[in-house]
Amino acid sequence: MADDPQREDTRRSGATLRAASVSRAFDGVQALREVTLELHRKEIVGLIGPNGAGKSTLVNVLTGFDYPDAGTVELAGRCITRWSPHRRGRHGLARTFQHSRSFRELTVRENVEVAALGSGAGVREARRRADDLLERLSLTQYSSAPAGSLSHGDERRLGVARALATEPRFVLMDEPAAGLPEAEVPDFAAVVRSVRDEHGAGVLLIDHNMALVMEVCDRIQVLDHGATLAEGDPREIRANLDVAAAYLGDSAVHEDAS
Amino acid sequence: MRAPRSLVQLIGPVGLVVAAALVGATVSRTTEIYFINALVAVSMVVALYVFVGNSGVLSFGHISFVAVGAWTAGVLSVPEAEKPAFMPYLFGFLRDTTVGNVESLVLAGVVAGVFALLVGLPLMRLSGLAAGIATFAVLEITNNVLRYYENVGPGLNTFSSVPETTGLTQAALGALVVIVIAFAYQRSRFGRQLRAAREDPAAARAVGVSIYRQRLAAFALSGFLAGLAGGLYVHFLPLQIDGVYLDLTFITLAMLVIGGATSLWGAVVGALAVSALDSVLANAETGITILGWSFDVPAGTRLVVVSALMALVLILRPSGLTGGKELAFGSLRRLRPAPAEAVE
Repeated sequence: MADDPQREDTRRSGATLRAASVSRAFDGVQALREVTLELHRKEIVGLIGPNGAGKSTLVNVLTGFDYPDAGTVELAGRCITRWSPHRRGRHGLARTFQHSRSFRELTVRENVEVAALGSGAGVREARRRADDLLERLSLTQYSSAPAGSLSHGDERRLGVARALATEPRFVLMDEPAAGLPEAEVPDFAAVVRSVRDEHGAGVLLIDHNMALVMEVCDRIQVLDHGATLAEGDPREIRANLDVAAAYLGDSAVHEDAS
Repeated sequence: MRAPRSLVQLIGPVGLVVAAALVGATVSRTTEIYFINALVAVSMVVALYVFVGNSGVLSFGHISFVAVGAWTAGVLSVPEAEKPAFMPYLFGFLRDTTVGNVESLVLAGVVAGVFALLVGLPLMRLSGLAAGIATFAVLEITNNVLRYYENVGPGLNTFSSVPETTGLTQAALGALVVIVIAFAYQRSRFGRQLRAAREDPAAARAVGVSIYRQRLAAFALSGFLAGLAGGLYVHFLPLQIDGVYLDLTFITLAMLVIGGATSLWGAVVGALAVSALDSVLANAETGITILGWSFDVPAGTRLVVVSALMALVLILRPSGLTGGKELAFGSLRRLRPAPAEAVE
């Protein structure tokens, strides 16, 4: 399974990550019903919906931490539905986790380097990527500190640095702004944009911070009760009253999302 | 520029082993035995550390690799004329082959490493408690095979006539070789991936780390080093199957836990500290005199004390005497980040 003759081809033409009509049930509760989601490179797609809507299940299905009962996951036209997470990781799919989940006992630099190593980079290349990413994400000053000692905001950026160290084509961010002080959100928005603009990756952003989602996303898909409720650009979503009822609440629709 | 900095971490473990060897060279013959024993223990505990410390998965099975190494080196280095006396049922090729000291140690490592690799193929798919229990099964199987299968060794007989080449020098050199290999591994791309998986398996998989492969590699290398330690052991004293069974399993795990399971420094400190304590207590069981005071403690005291100490360490200092950290020199490496404030 390890040596893929087509691997290089996939890397070149890897323009789309696609979940096609995926369904997933847990003990009779339908977490996902025939959800289709497409993510292209160089775009930021927001995935929103109330708690229990199936957002995290969808991310798990896309990244291989869970398998769908029906439907397929495709990476650049190849079916990867049954691939393990680490195999997907090596083929350009990266994710960040809720609650960051850094390697706490390792230093900040080691956190980033090991991600590069995991994706197949050599030791020297891993060091180069770490130098570069720590600099870009303003983490250089902490590089030899244990990751467990970082503040919340720094740890969130470390999660992004770690994902980028794998040189991904797609980055799935699971609530990256949760618990982030409001004042740090604009900085984090810039980080998310740089993943699209400077690294050319496609970003799937799940977050409850509507200001962030509305501001950075090119498209938004809304899930509710495991099914797609609406899709569109931020303005359309904002105007969609179904969404308002399901998620934003009446007052939130009129809130300024600067 | 980073390589020399991380090499600093070798100073502690290497320095301690060299110091122990130097002190051992100044004492009487009868006391020297304890130093040799302690240095062989360092090899065993560091071998165990390579897997347990880096993966975070407990193994009760490593003494089977020590035993396989001991059997390999022992059977192959007894002079042919002496073999029939206590190993009458050996396979022909084992009966007719005798190798030198160094070859026997290398073969001990290789045979044990291959054995660990084969055992690890199915076992490393397990994790957590299941993996620990399964390695215990390996210990039982290996022990009973070696105990009763007399075509490959002495069975219940004692390994006599093995050349006693493991003196202070070889015990120290062996420990140093094991330490350097363990260090090189933990700094390698493989060791670092495994350590990341220890911290957070899911996050490690998400960045492409195959936990199964990394654990398997560590298990095989760890088995190789344990086999080497077993070779040193059988060249040190007349070994018998019960000498590489439950007591040794327990004491090596206790050494690792007491020293600090997640660092090489912890493994070395634990092995030497517990060996020292163990030696004193073993003497006390037969009655000793220290500074004019006569001691005579009941038989069994040493394991009671070591066990109690392990429990105490787990309660009071769960990451071991060293805190599970490598020995750091200078303020530079102890540098903590300034209290995190908003950047810019």
